[in-house]
Amino acid sequence: MHGRIKVKTTAEQQETKRKEREKKLKLYNAATGKIFDKRKNKEFDDDLLALTGEVLAQNSDLYTLWNIRKETFLHMKEIKTKEEMEKICNEELYFLESCLKGNPKSYGTWHHRCFVLDNMANPDWKRELQLCNIFLEYDERNFHCWDYRRLVVKRSKVPIEEELEFTTNKIHSNFSNFSSWHYRSKLLPLIYPDPTNPVGVKEEILLKEFEAVQNAFFTDPDDQSAWFYHRWLLGRGRKKMVISCLYASRPQNRVIVSTSQPVLVGSNHQMEVYLKDVSIEGSWSNVAGNGSPYSRLWISFKFCLTG
Amino acid sequence: MGSPVKDVSIPENAPKTLLLQKHCDYIAAYGSKKDEYEYCMTEYLRMSGIYWGLTVMDLMGQLDKMNKQEVLDFVHQCQHECGGVGASIGHDPHLLYTLSAVQIVTLYDAQDTLDVEKLVQFVKDLQQEDGSFVGDKWGEVDTRFSFCAVACLALLGRLNEVNIDKAVDFILSCMNFDGGFGCRPGSESHSGQIYCCLGMLSIVGRLHHVNADMLGWWLCERQLPSGGLNGRPEKLPDVCYSWWVLASLKIIGKIHWIDKEKLVRFILACQDEETGGFADRPGDVVDPFHTLFGITGLSLLGEQILKPVNPVFCMPEETIRKAGIKLELLT
Ligand SMILES: [Zn+2]
Repeated sequence: MHGRIKVKTTAEQQETKRKEREKKLKLYNAATGKIFDKRKNKEFDDDLLALTGEVLAQNSDLYTLWNIRKETFLHMKEIKTKEEMEKICNEELYFLESCLKGNPKSYGTWHHRCFVLDNMANPDWKRELQLCNIFLEYDERNFHCWDYRRLVVKRSKVPIEEELEFTTNKIHSNFSNFSSWHYRSKLLPLIYPDPTNPVGVKEEILLKEFEAVQNAFFTDPDDQSAWFYHRWLLGRGRKKMVISCLYASRPQNRVIVSTSQPVLVGSNHQMEVYLKDVSIEGSWSNVAGNGSPYSRLWISFKFCLTG
Repeated sequence: MGSPVKDVSIPENAPKTLLLQKHCDYIAAYGSKKDEYEYCMTEYLRMSGIYWGLTVMDLMGQLDKMNKQEVLDFVHQCQHECGGVGASIGHDPHLLYTLSAVQIVTLYDAQDTLDVEKLVQFVKDLQQEDGSFVGDKWGEVDTRFSFCAVACLALLGRLNEVNIDKAVDFILSCMNFDGGFGCRPGSESHSGQIYCCLGMLSIVGRLHHVNADMLGWWLCERQLPSGGLNGRPEKLPDVCYSWWVLASLKIIGKIHWIDKEKLVRFILACQDEETGGFADRPGDVVDPFHTLFGITGLSLLGEQILKPVNPVFCMPEETIRKAGIKLELLT
């Protein structure tokens, strides 16, 4: 339960509420009872859509009812004409929109929308992008909607340059928009790849971003979004993989290797030590002794270093 | 100028001590009101609800107040032919509730309540070509489900049944510019999601992939002036995030990066003196979910009267030790 303020109520108010809830509960039990019966009897019809719709409009987290709706759709797809199916799907999208207005953060509702569109012969993706615009207008941090938007963009091949433009506009209207900054960090390496670094962004673009983000935190120094983005723009240095220390002990027949980054040493990945071009036998264990195949410090006992 | 920081203020008269017995009574009574509206309306997550209730009672040392046989019978009835477990009798199988069921039978040391072979097969079949896991046959992908799958198998001692390398690769493909993780590749970082991804990497011993300094910074910035933690930048504090964020910090060895005293004060202020239980924020309505995460948060912060909680499985440390599970935690 999130954001429900506890209010002091009189005994009379409580009694009214109790009666109201009792009535609601009866309706709910009757509806779910009927729904499960119909499913058992494989009656995947309009009536089942209506019944599940009534309950889901009240409580969109009832995942099993979304599943029953999906089963109904798949059944109808088999027996209805294309035109009939088109109409049913469009009605479903309309229904889903109203559910989302009631609860814009329901995993089940957003996923069901993907399911419906993926089952349509001619999905109208433009309309879906428009829907995302509306919901992001209403709550610019709704990550369900942002994720849905990325799906729409992928399915309908919206140019990612347009998406970058969208985040620019969002940030201009409100700097404090972590979701938009995040999206930029994903889009920039795709639009302006750095030829020298597979996950990087072109230097001149980074400089422009740097200027933009500075404007953001000059306007609002307390806003975290811009600072995290700033840190990302700056922090492109990567530690090179090097051997930082190698220790070999002849009396103890022991070699210890330390690296700047964890290395994988396991059944398919061996570390080899050469002495005067001759490979030396030995088995490695991770110094922490926790059996992990990754470590920055490997030790090998029983090395034969006398050769 | 700037936008005001989103936060709450803690009322002067908010509780300042742990009302342990009230919480025990609240949880014990919750399950006995089976005809009530609130209880029936949350049937779609009953299995998780039971796990929350049992875990919090165990951490408070009062697991014996719960009806063990009734719970185990219920869990048994919720397992489907395919091996997966549903939230309640007649509800469809899903990884979320399958993990809750495995957690419950592990708490009670009664794994034979479930058909383990079938359950393992159910989990195995949900892994996709790219290493991700879907929650059920309808195909929703989410890093939460990667955690559920791996946690289930670890509790059952069957981690070798899935492709761990690919599962790790998928988790890493969800890593973001801030060092955090989202639901899917491209998704924004979110504390709940970060907890799941770190938990998954901890179970399989691959935490070295994480940039602990960068992620630790993002996580500790979740603390607001009230002491409470939020789940993402510019959001309100919430008791459940005191768990997702705190457990994540514990996993990467940075729990000392937040102000413990202030967080304790915030969590205690979310208790309801009349009814027992914790709410998301001071003055809101309590529920078992936030009651669990209020208690687990306090346990991680070192409250001695509670049993120590395991930061990855969100179960008593002693249960995880007994199950012989080894985890990787950064120091
Ligand atoms: Zn919460």
